[in-house]
Amino acid sequence: MKQIIIIAVIAGFAALLPLAIGDSPYFIGVLISVLMMAALSSAWNILGGYAGQYSFGHAAYFGAGAYTTMILISKFNFNPLVGMVAGIIVACIIALITGSIVFRLRGHYFGLASIAVAEIVRLSALNFDFTGGAQGILLSDVSLWGMDLNSKIPFYYGMLLVLVFTLGIALNLRKSKTGYYLQAIREDQDAAASLGINLSFYKNKALLISAGLTSVLGSLYAVYIRFIDTSAVLDLRLSIEIILTAIIGGVGTVWGPVLGAVLLVPLAEMLRSNVIGDVLVTQGIVSENSGLGVFLKGNLAHAHVLVYGIITVLCILYMPKGILGLFRRKK
Amino acid sequence: MIQHLLHINHVSKHFGGNVAVSDISFSVDEKQIFGLIGPNGAGKTTLFNCISGFYPVTSGDIIFDNRAINNLRPDEICHMGMARTWQRVKPLGSLTVLENVIIGAFSITNSTKEAEEIAIEQLLAVGLSDYAQKTAGSLPIGLKKKLELARVLATHPKMLLLDEICGGLNHTETETILGIIREVRNKGATIVFIEHDMKAVTAVCDWIVVLNSGEKLAEGTPQEITGNPEVIAAYLGGGHNA
Repeated sequence: MKQIIIIAVIAGFAALLPLAIGDSPYFIGVLISVLMMAALSSAWNILGGYAGQYSFGHAAYFGAGAYTTMILISKFNFNPLVGMVAGIIVACIIALITGSIVFRLRGHYFGLASIAVAEIVRLSALNFDFTGGAQGILLSDVSLWGMDLNSKIPFYYGMLLVLVFTLGIALNLRKSKTGYYLQAIREDQDAAASLGINLSFYKNKALLISAGLTSVLGSLYAVYIRFIDTSAVLDLRLSIEIILTAIIGGVGTVWGPVLGAVLLVPLAEMLRSNVIGDVLVTQGIVSENSGLGVFLKGNLAHAHVLVYGIITVLCILYMPKGILGLFRRKK
Repeated sequence: MIQHLLHINHVSKHFGGNVAVSDISFSVDEKQIFGLIGPNGAGKTTLFNCISGFYPVTSGDIIFDNRAINNLRPDEICHMGMARTWQRVKPLGSLTVLENVIIGAFSITNSTKEAEEIAIEQLLAVGLSDYAQKTAGSLPIGLKKKLELARVLATHPKMLLLDEICGGLNHTETETILGIIREVRNKGATIVFIEHDMKAVTAVCDWIVVLNSGEKLAEGTPQEITGNPEVIAAYLGGGHNA
């Protein structure tokens, strides 16, 4: 109950945020990225955090949603919401095929297979004609219920809605039979089986929930950006970013992925736009013409992946339970 | 009429060329406390793994509650009312003691509230109530064994397979566990019990089967078994004359 109130308060605050910062498309854009990564990471967490089945290929489900939606809109002029539902179905079919084969095995097979499946999906999208091949799919115009989809505001609320929905599922699962069973599977598969848990059924269930939610986010993202190609929605980097967000925030907790996204997405954005380098120079901390200044201005923007890596290493070394783990009392 | 709840019919288990269990047959009656004993490597745990569905048998049949269970998965066997513990305990380490037992209780209910009630009841029965909110991984071995017991009892089994539930425990702890086992039987469950400790076995068992090198060496009441020269030889080594 307490957690539901926290979600409601934060969602209410987030809903008012665009009014406060006005119509700065840049900041709304960053906030949309934060909400999307928080939701993606939370969806991944249901499978990876609760059930302990690390998927390294969630981009496949994101891409399935994005591509299905874009193809249906651009080629057949479907309603975007129909595209979203179709995306869920496609993502779930990919998930079911993967899961029903690989979840019979234990250990790291699922992790390895998830990369393989994601690469198969990526290479297929890159080489088929109906997916636009290397050129991707561009959408010149899209409409839904007469909303102004040129503005970012509808997508901000769309992402917020999906995030709240995902957190609601994550929270509800935690205290349900399925949630307990997934955690039992994570802790010890033999013990879980001996207590009456059908391992492959529950792993598949977690995968389907996770893949379905991820695909919804892919659909939303595609309509928001109006352009997709394989490097935008099917890249291994996206899969890794989702995992890192969850790990750094706190795997297996409801709030860890949200915290991870709130901290990491703006940090990556600051590095990418080189805000940090600019501030160091304009504040006179580093001289613009010194060797370090030139280096920072020239290179820091390319360093966000490096910074992600360093944070991850530090996180694994010093706080294996993520940032949220630091605040949890040990029982 | 006494019913055979479990019937082991000419069961063998080979690992490649190694014969771990060879042509074993016996029956367990309802409400029996049944002891399965034998020296290290006799095949006791292998047989347990076959019965509970973790190993497929090489040949033979296992009949539980009038149904062949050789080809069922462990979770299906659990739902038929057979639950097992592990010699090397398997606590769900990062979950609390209460949550561990709740997971057991979910095999008979879908409601979290009911599962929690069953779990609290079982923790009380084995004397773990004070530890309900502790992390299962942090318990000492004696309490982990009790947790194993509470967790399987929460599935309300017809038959319990206990694999060295007293192993590594001191005298008082063993007495407590044996007391719980007797109580569970009095409530109507059947118990099959692997044990090393002869004293514990003879104290509670109605019937004992002795395994040695994968084969059945003898079976009988505790008195018959403790007086059997072959059994004594197997336990003390072939060279001794008991």
